Amino acid sequence: MLDRIKRFNWLMFAAMLALVALGTAAIYSAGNARSEEVFHSMWKANLSTALFGLAIYFVLAFFDYRRYVSLLAAPAYLFSLVLLVAVLLVGTSTYGGRRWLWFFQPSEVAKLCVIAALAWIYGSPEPRPWLRRFPGFLAACATIGVPALLILLEPDLGTMLALLPATLAMLFVARVWRRGLLTAVLAAAVLATAVLAAVYEAEKPGVSEDRRAAIMRFVPLRPHQVKRVKIFLFPDEDPHAAGYTLRQAMISIGSGGFSGKGFRRGETNHLKYLPQSISMNDFIFCVYAEEAGFIGSVALLALFGALLAPCVWTAYFAADGRGRLIAIGVSTLVFAHVFVNIAMSVGLVPITGLPLPFISAGRTFLVTVMAGLGVVQSVSIHGREEDR
Amino acid sequence: MRSEASISSDLTVLAIGAIFVAGLVALGFRLARVQLVDAAKHSYDGARQSIRTVRTAGPRGRILARDGTVLADNRASVSIAVNPEGFQRRTWNDTVLAISNAVDAVSAAIGLRSTLTAGAISRHVRQQLARPLVAWRDVGDEAIARFAERAGEFPGFSCIETEERVYPEGRLAAHVIGFVGRRDAESVGGEQFNFRDKEMCGREGLEAFYDSYLRGSQGELQVTVDARGFAVEEKTVSEARRGPDLRLSIDVAVQRAVERQLRGERGACAALDPRDGSVLALASAPAYDLNILVPQLSPEINERLFRNARNDYRNRACFETYAPGSTFKTVTALAGLGAGVPPEVSYDCTGVFELGGMRLHCARRWGHGPIDMRHALKESCNTYFCNLGCDIGTNALFSAARAMGLGAKTGIDFPQDSAGVVPSAEYKRISYNLPWYASDLAHAAIGQGQLLVTPLQMARVAGAIGTGYLVRPRLGADAPVERTPLPFPERDLAVVREGMCMVVDGGTGKRAGEGVAAAVAGKTGTAEVGLGATRRKNVWFIAYAPAERPTVAIAMVIENGESGGGTAAPKVNAVLKSIFGEAEELEPRVGVGER
Repeated sequence: MLDRIKRFNWLMFAAMLALVALGTAAIYSAGNARSEEVFHSMWKANLSTALFGLAIYFVLAFFDYRRYVSLLAAPAYLFSLVLLVAVLLVGTSTYGGRRWLWFFQPSEVAKLCVIAALAWIYGSPEPRPWLRRFPGFLAACATIGVPALLILLEPDLGTMLALLPATLAMLFVARVWRRGLLTAVLAAAVLATAVLAAVYEAEKPGVSEDRRAAIMRFVPLRPHQVKRVKIFLFPDEDPHAAGYTLRQAMISIGSGGFSGKGFRRGETNHLKYLPQSISMNDFIFCVYAEEAGFIGSVALLALFGALLAPCVWTAYFAADGRGRLIAIGVSTLVFAHVFVNIAMSVGLVPITGLPLPFISAGRTFLVTVMAGLGVVQSVSIHGREEDR
Repeated sequence: MRSEASISSDLTVLAIGAIFVAGLVALGFRLARVQLVDAAKHSYDGARQSIRTVRTAGPRGRILARDGTVLADNRASVSIAVNPEGFQRRTWNDTVLAISNAVDAVSAAIGLRSTLTAGAISRHVRQQLARPLVAWRDVGDEAIARFAERAGEFPGFSCIETEERVYPEGRLAAHVIGFVGRRDAESVGGEQFNFRDKEMCGREGLEAFYDSYLRGSQGELQVTVDARGFAVEEKTVSEARRGPDLRLSIDVAVQRAVERQLRGERGACAALDPRDGSVLALASAPAYDLNILVPQLSPEINERLFRNARNDYRNRACFETYAPGSTFKTVTALAGLGAGVPPEVSYDCTGVFELGGMRLHCARRWGHGPIDMRHALKESCNTYFCNLGCDIGTNALFSAARAMGLGAKTGIDFPQDSAGVVPSAEYKRISYNLPWYASDLAHAAIGQGQLLVTPLQMARVAGAIGTGYLVRPRLGADAPVERTPLPFPERDLAVVREGMCMVVDGGTGKRAGEGVAAAVAGKTGTAEVGLGATRRKNVWFIAYAPAERPTVAIAMVIENGESGGGTAAPKVNAVLKSIFGEAEELEPRVGVGER
């Protein structure tokens, strides 16, 4: 027991608690700026959810992950598939997507389940050389592909975009058919660049309607996605309608300045210039950055760094494959969310609906991330001992 | 000893860690840029982030005569405007006061009084805050120079260039061209704009009728405003474009000739090409210089044009209606022929036509004696046509009048197009509450009584007799040509044509044809209006020429003239001379012996 407490990674835990605290404050500020009463007490809900997540965190941290991962990974994965199908059939629609099943979003839970399943398969202590080769790659594609497809059907592109780097990192670490993997990554990069270039070419000023249509036939994006890419490429083009969100986001963040405007003093948020429907969720970084300023933003990044460093540390020192893969999977998942969310708020990447871990008011996601970190903590505690 | 595989895996983990660090550091740098380097821009932006859209107006197209003479154009005009954002005060009242004081100060400096009232400033601040407020519109060079010299002293004021309408020909065709006013740029297709700049819009005449054609295509402006609504920055989204030019059928030479003849008179004249309806001239006198209406109608001008007894503004050529007088006898003749009265049939003119208790004198007091249709037209015999009218009856007479386009709008592409009146028993009962008497018919047959026409209608009648079909008059060179064949046989028309030729060839309108290098056919008219002290004569002459193949049809009315032959015919003669040129040799005429 003492051993365990000794090996408990306090930095990771403290960073997580600090992030929960900052998140609750940001939700308080964003929620109180809204006119609807129901959002004013959102921070309380976030806090109680965090407590619930903390309980799960401790349970998962104190038991040996090797026991429960091998026991639960497969059933959890299958159960998440059932939930993903269920949400498509009986889920609740919001903002053009069918993402809710009663009180939670199955796609968030599925992220963790996919990571666990991959860890379970590729981190197995028994040597399975075929897994490192092409067949193993195909197996990974199937494991990731089925839930990914279901998530895309909701549709929830953002979640997909966060899950993909996490699973990719795991496959790299697991040394699964690296040549193919690298090729795939490069191909994806080339494709993304090509799409950007095509949209740029089609939408730049002075392009005829015919030419635009001819180019856009080859772009595999939906109209609203094209629009977002267009806003990313030409942020000043249409500041009134489509570009409004990004423009307001930049103003919120930029007007924070060095030291911020102070807690609950974010004008763009409280004067409702920032679109209200997203200020608590995907664009909460704007609320935070306006009130906390550059100092606060960097502190937030540092906290995420303080959270991620021990995770990578844990992965590096993990004695077995499963622990290592889980630590890498969870940390990459968190990193992908953090990076894409903040990057889109400051106009570095096109706008994608993706929450900022711990800060956004997403309760399912909060519990998911805390659970994931609980497993990583378990790896930190138990993972250095050789399995006896 | 760790395996090679394990080392490779370790390195991958470290690489991923490095990516995390790189990603977070990149975000940090980006945030430093947004929050530190660009903070000034964004926080400034943040305070002024709302965007307002403005509809801007394009310059108006020109109006050209047939030969390209510019009748209406735009000229650059400079206005001095106040930009409200230069006068931000804590309260709106203080802002209005600050603007008002500043306007007074500039007013003293440039020596021009501003028409801006505190109310107007207040209204602008409330409704158009993000737009400049024009304090002095269409300022002269001198005032601009004075303003420019001291512009530094007046922050918040600026010169803005706009366009004003200008009418290079001044009075020419003033009633036809009309004038423009200002109104908010129109919203097309239900688009929503926060502000709409003023644009010119036609208020009268062709400016009004062809308003949407002449109007430029509109542009869009985006104005960034701060939290209180003051403008900070402007960006043109789409450029406003000039409207197309409108080419008219008006022939400047004919129009000038007509107006020269009308000078000093009260009256009107319409001249058109009876083949396609092109209006060659449409004039009304007295006229006025259109440029006095620019930049806006002042109260003095308004008083002078619209409220005086002379009625300068009234369009007498196609809006005012007159009794046609004897010119209508052409129509009566056609009606008689249509009813089967042979032209050779004579009525005996004793100098007076009596019906019941009514006595109607002929122009020739002692009478014409027995007279047939052609000669009755030539001599304008009242007795003949009263008899003819009474013989054929109301229906035959008035259906012929309607067939000649009377009592109905001509369909001209012009906002003012009076139908006139072709009376009926019902019309008289409703309008005058009197029964229809046989004497009404007799009066109508010679163009008196309740019958009312416009000069434009009569020009059309003259042309229709000459060509055999009725045309729709058109002012726009590209307006469609519409021709309606007359319901009279060519034989009947020939009789009236002969009569009308005889009018000019030694008849009542002989002065109309003198020296014109073309055969003229015409008809005089002298309509008596009013009773007692207000009794006066409106005199007419209608004509078409050349008689064999008419290319011009003309109708002129002069208020308070002597007689159609004496007053109107010479004026029409002068116009026709300007069109066809003067004849080489004057035919010696009986009774014209000055030598």
